[in-house]
Amino acid sequence: MTSRRSLVAVVDDDESVRESLPDLLRELGFAARAFSSAEEYLASGDIGRTKCLILDVAMPGMSGPDLQQELARRRQAIPIVFITAHQDDTVRPRLLAQGAVECLFKPFSETALLAALDTALRAA
Amino acid sequence: MTTGFEGITTASDLIDILDTIEVPVVVVRRDFLVACFNKPAADVLGLSGSDVGRPCRSISVLAGLPRLEQQCRQVIADGVECRADFRDGDRWFVVRISPCTTGDRQISGTVLSFTNVTAFRASTDQAIYEREFTKSILNTVADPLVVVSPDLRIQSGNRAFYTTFGVSRDETQGVPLDKVGNGALALRTLRAQFEEMLAGRHAFQPVEVEHVFPGKGQRTLILDARSLSLPGHSERRVLVTFHDITARKQAEAAKDLRSEAELRRSEAFLAEAQRLSQTGSFSWRVATDEITWSEEAYRIYGIYPTVPVTFELIRTRVHPDNLLMFQEVIDRVRREGGDFDYESRLLMPDHSIKYLHVVAHGGRNEDGELELVGSVQDVTERRFAEEALAKARSELAHVARVTTLGALTASIAHEVNQPLSGIITNASTCLRMLDADPPNVDGARETVRRTLRDGNRASDVITRLRALFGKQSATTEPVDLNDATREVIALSLSDLQRSRVILRTDLADDLPPVTGDRVQLQQVILNLLLNASDAMGDVDDRPRQLVIRTERDEGDRVRLTVQDAGIGFDPQTVQRLFDAFYTTKSGGMGIGLSVSRSIIESHQGRLWATPNDGPGATFSFSIPCAAEVAPPDAAVAVRLPGGTHIEHAMGGL
Repeated sequence: MTSRRSLVAVVDDDESVRESLPDLLRELGFAARAFSSAEEYLASGDIGRTKCLILDVAMPGMSGPDLQQELARRRQAIPIVFITAHQDDTVRPRLLAQGAVECLFKPFSETALLAALDTALRAA
Repeated sequence: MTTGFEGITTASDLIDILDTIEVPVVVVRRDFLVACFNKPAADVLGLSGSDVGRPCRSISVLAGLPRLEQQCRQVIADGVECRADFRDGDRWFVVRISPCTTGDRQISGTVLSFTNVTAFRASTDQAIYEREFTKSILNTVADPLVVVSPDLRIQSGNRAFYTTFGVSRDETQGVPLDKVGNGALALRTLRAQFEEMLAGRHAFQPVEVEHVFPGKGQRTLILDARSLSLPGHSERRVLVTFHDITARKQAEAAKDLRSEAELRRSEAFLAEAQRLSQTGSFSWRVATDEITWSEEAYRIYGIYPTVPVTFELIRTRVHPDNLLMFQEVIDRVRREGGDFDYESRLLMPDHSIKYLHVVAHGGRNEDGELELVGSVQDVTERRFAEEALAKARSELAHVARVTTLGALTASIAHEVNQPLSGIITNASTCLRMLDADPPNVDGARETVRRTLRDGNRASDVITRLRALFGKQSATTEPVDLNDATREVIALSLSDLQRSRVILRTDLADDLPPVTGDRVQLQQVILNLLLNASDAMGDVDDRPRQLVIRTERDEGDRVRLTVQDAGIGFDPQTVQRLFDAFYTTKSGGMGIGLSVSRSIIESHQGRLWATPNDGPGATFSFSIPCAAEVAPPDAAVAVRLPGGTHIEHAMGGL
């Protein structure tokens, strides 16, 4: 169900997420790469091989939903799993309505992550 | 004419005898013809021999006795001699007209003997004149004067005496002085003095006597007495004088009454003022340790007002913690004199505590002794009120902080969730690495290291939160305003980010520390940051730029400025911005800026707002960076001469 080429991209301005999450993803058998901002990800050239995007909601500059809109504009149908430290119950339905696969509230468990990834990759 | 003497048989013989006396003698017959006269009669009265046998009335010298015939007739008829005054030029005679008896015991005529009284008469005239003169003087004297006998019986008085006492001369003659008038002039006590004076042992000491006069009421008199010795009289007389001092006494009494009333009035004012201001006064004569207290001072120390004040007594009231200082103040005054000004506490018998403010000034009194005069004020209520106010302010500040906490909840959760997320992810990774075959120990070690770091990060957030929202009482410490600002930014950063606020910090490198309450200052900074963020909530046509700046300010102060690009404020409402419960925000309580200003003012600083040239507003505060700090126990702040009084740097917020 996975391949070496299929990449899980992580975009988050928080360094500890950028350090820890790709390591876990790799332990789970995914190829993973972290980006500190939406702009960095858009400029990376990794968009085409991204099978799932794990995207922080609130970031300086371009936010997670901004990136989601930009990718839609570019017709890049990448399944997106939003992650956020803001436990705002109104956020999740809005993001799901806008096409997100899942929205995880930090801190999230390995199980929740795997479930979300499973859904995302199946969607892909 | 028989004379009764042998050999003397004729009148002529008799005349010869009469010639030998100096007194002129003229014998007049019953038919008023001159029978004979002696030689002095011829010499003194100028009679001649041809006058014998002539009628008296035809002799010019005897014309000075116009009633002579009538008087002679009377003498002959009665057989009793009489006298008549006779003047011849400037000479005065007393004429004795005696019956001249013949041998058959018939009165045959009269014998006129002329005694020259000219000299006597002159001295009598003088005496009369002087007596009248003296009398008229005495009568013009307004003071009553009376001459009394040694047994105090009235001899005579001047007009003033009779009119003053309302008595007549006749009814008082010989009456004892103390029976005069209504008899109220009690002299019984004076008798001893009179006797001493009359005995020549002591001069009379004037005595003040009260006497009720008819129609005049009670008068006060000074009674004086002088012993009079009359030449040629063995009996003494006493001159008693009365001087009415009623008017003077009344004037003095009125004046005394007035000044006494004024004194009482000002004393009453003082006592009332002391009671109202709870300020007692005291004096301390250093040499003798003589201490006097005002009524209020007694009340403050809770001591009964008649108890003599001693330092021992005062020590029983001084709070044990203040006894050493109390002794030091006393010792210092004894050693160096001078003033003092200190705050102290009393421990009352009911175990309540009183706070006192004692001020005294040293100086020399009229005896040249060192004497301290001062005041002792009971400031307990003020102190308690200050403490209550400080507590209320502190509670309000806490309420404001907790309110702010609500606004920050999401931000705080974010700040905690971020590291928690790292921790859980790393722990999951770690388990997988250790479960692998062979276990990836190096990788696991790295994840554990990150877990520790994130754990500490979460812990730091909690520590900051507890510092900001946990405590209520104010403390005073040196505060690095830059560090304090950075911590506030760290807590609110995600909130600002979520509000799409672009934060620019411009913190001066050389910022000196300020003195104050770190948490309260952070509360102000946080409040200003969140206000600025809120003010830009509806701004979409320009960057939501927020600049926070610290810098040195004039006059050894530090200034912090928060500039936003928000909706700004109406310059006309600028003063209302800082009023409690004034708010322009839908969810605001309107206490943030009010509490912030109160906090800044308690740091001897000021907080103000200015509109920007462009959009938005700038809020700034400036506080001194070298404020003096009160010791933790400010109940004992001593100010002595030459020293500086230590003020509260903090309002107690």
